[in-house]
This record gives sequence, structure tokens and C-alpha cells, in this order.
Amino acid sequence: MKYSLVLLSFLTLSAFAQNSKQDATLQTKQSKSSVSTHKCPAIQDNILKKDEKMLISVIGQGVAPSNTASPAQAYALAKRAAIADAYRLIAEKVKGVRIDGQDLIKNMMVKRSTVRTSVAAMIKNANIVETTFKEGLCEVEMEINLSYSDIVR
Amino acid sequence: MRSRDGNQSFLLRYCSLVTFLFLSYSSVLLADEYLISYRYVVKDAIVYNQSLQISPAMQKCQGSVGKSLLLDPSKKENLRDILSLNNEIFINYLHSLGLLVQHSEKTTNMQNHSLTIITMPTQCFKVDFNDTFVKISTLKQLLPH
Repeated sequence: MKYSLVLLSFLTLSAFAQNSKQDATLQTKQSKSSVSTHKCPAIQDNILKKDEKMLISVIGQGVAPSNTASPAQAYALAKRAAIADAYRLIAEKVKGVRIDGQDLIKNMMVKRSTVRTSVAAMIKNANIVETTFKEGLCEVEMEINLSYSDIVR
Repeated sequence: MRSRDGNQSFLLRYCSLVTFLFLSYSSVLLADEYLISYRYVVKDAIVYNQSLQISPAMQKCQGSVGKSLLLDPSKKENLRDILSLNNEIFINYLHSLGLLVQHSEKTTNMQNHSLTIITMPTQCFKVDFNDTFVKISTLKQLLPH
């Protein structure tokens, strides 16, 4: 009788262990499938392949200073600022942005919140497509054609 | 005072010719190459300052000739004057050569301040002066293998 009870308990324990193993394998399978579903198609699209070209288009904005000698000077300076802004936008798109944040909290209140962003890049062969100047604001549309060899170089 | 052998005028003429040839050769070698750098700063979407540095090269630049630009000298002989006359065209040409962009932005309590520095590092240019036009070309330095 005792032996039969021990055998029965052993059998139930082994059955329980098998069940738990199956659950574990199921969970791993599920996690694997979830990883595969988490792959974002949009990110895959942005990867530049060897034989492909990518066109990046941005619009940079610049403002004329208030103390200019003539409207022509205001236009020239605003355009230059807009070009710099367009270059910055291209650099951000191609290389990404470094972001640092800092919040100062005192007595459960936010005293100061600071976000710093920075980017540095060398831009070559960017073309100005269109320039508009209206009410002191200059907008420059800029394009750059990227190929795999440009980035590898 | 005359020399004993009587060849003073011949020697003088010969020396002056050699000196003239040497000076003209050295001016062709050195004066036609210039080191140029360009930088401008944009602060809060407004141009803050701009600098264009031009200097004749004191050593011969190495490398092959790259992209060129033709400018109208308007009877000027100094490169600085020619570039100031054709400032906009030359700046566009520098943009096409490639520029380094450094941008930083700081947002404190919802107030944003930005600073963008656009730089063309010092580069050697070959300049050919002619009566009707001036040709400016970059000298690309060949990378060591």
C-alpha cells in the first residue's frame, strides 16, 4: 500500500513537471513570435541598400536681423540662416541627434527643466531647390541624394 | 669703377636675368595657391557673424585639381578684392564643396536657444589669374594608401 502511494505521488509529480516544461516551451515560442512581430517595417524601409539611392528633402527657416542696412542685406542674411537650418535638418536626419535632459526638482516641484540637443556632420552635395522670402522669414527647400557609397566613404 | 676683364656689364645683365627668372618662377609656384577657410555662426535663426580667411600659401600644396569656378576680376588683381566683388557666387561654390555643421540647442523651462556653426576647414585653392577671368580650383589632397 505504501509503495503504491509512493508510486502514485511520483507519477503525479512527473506529470506536473512535464506540464511545466511544455508551458515553458510555449512561453519561449510566444516570446520568439512577439520579437518577430515587434520588427517595425518602417525602420526596415529606412535602411539604405547597396544599389539604392535615398532622397532627403528638408525646409530650413531663417530670420533677417532687425538692424539691416537694406532689404537686400536682410534677404541675404535670412537666406544664409535658412541654409544653415536646412543643413542642420539634413544632419539630424542622416546622423541622428544626441539628446541630454536634466530636471531639477525641489520640494516636490520642478524648478528647472533643461533639454540639450546636438548634432555634428559634414554635408556635401546638398542642392537648394526653392527659396521663399516673406515678411522677414526665409524658407529654403534643400535636397540631398544619398547613396550607399557616400555613407561608407 | 670698371672691372679688369671688362665683362662687368655682361655679368650684371646675366645675374639680373637669372634673378628675374627665379622671382617669376617662384611667384608662379607660390602666389597662385591660396589657403582659404570660411565660417559663419547662426544664433537663434539669425546670422551672428561670418568670416572668410584668405592667405597665400607659403608652401606648395600637394594634390590634384578638383572642382573649379570662374570669376570676373573686373580689372582687380588682388584675390581678396575679386572675392569680395563676387562674394555670393564664391560662397555658393564653397557650399557645394562641403561644409561641417555643428548644431547645439538648449531648451530651459520651455525657452529655446540654438547655435549653429557652419565651417569650411582650411583648404588649398589653385588660382589662375587671367585678363578676362580668374579660375579658382580646389586642390584635393590624395589620401595615403
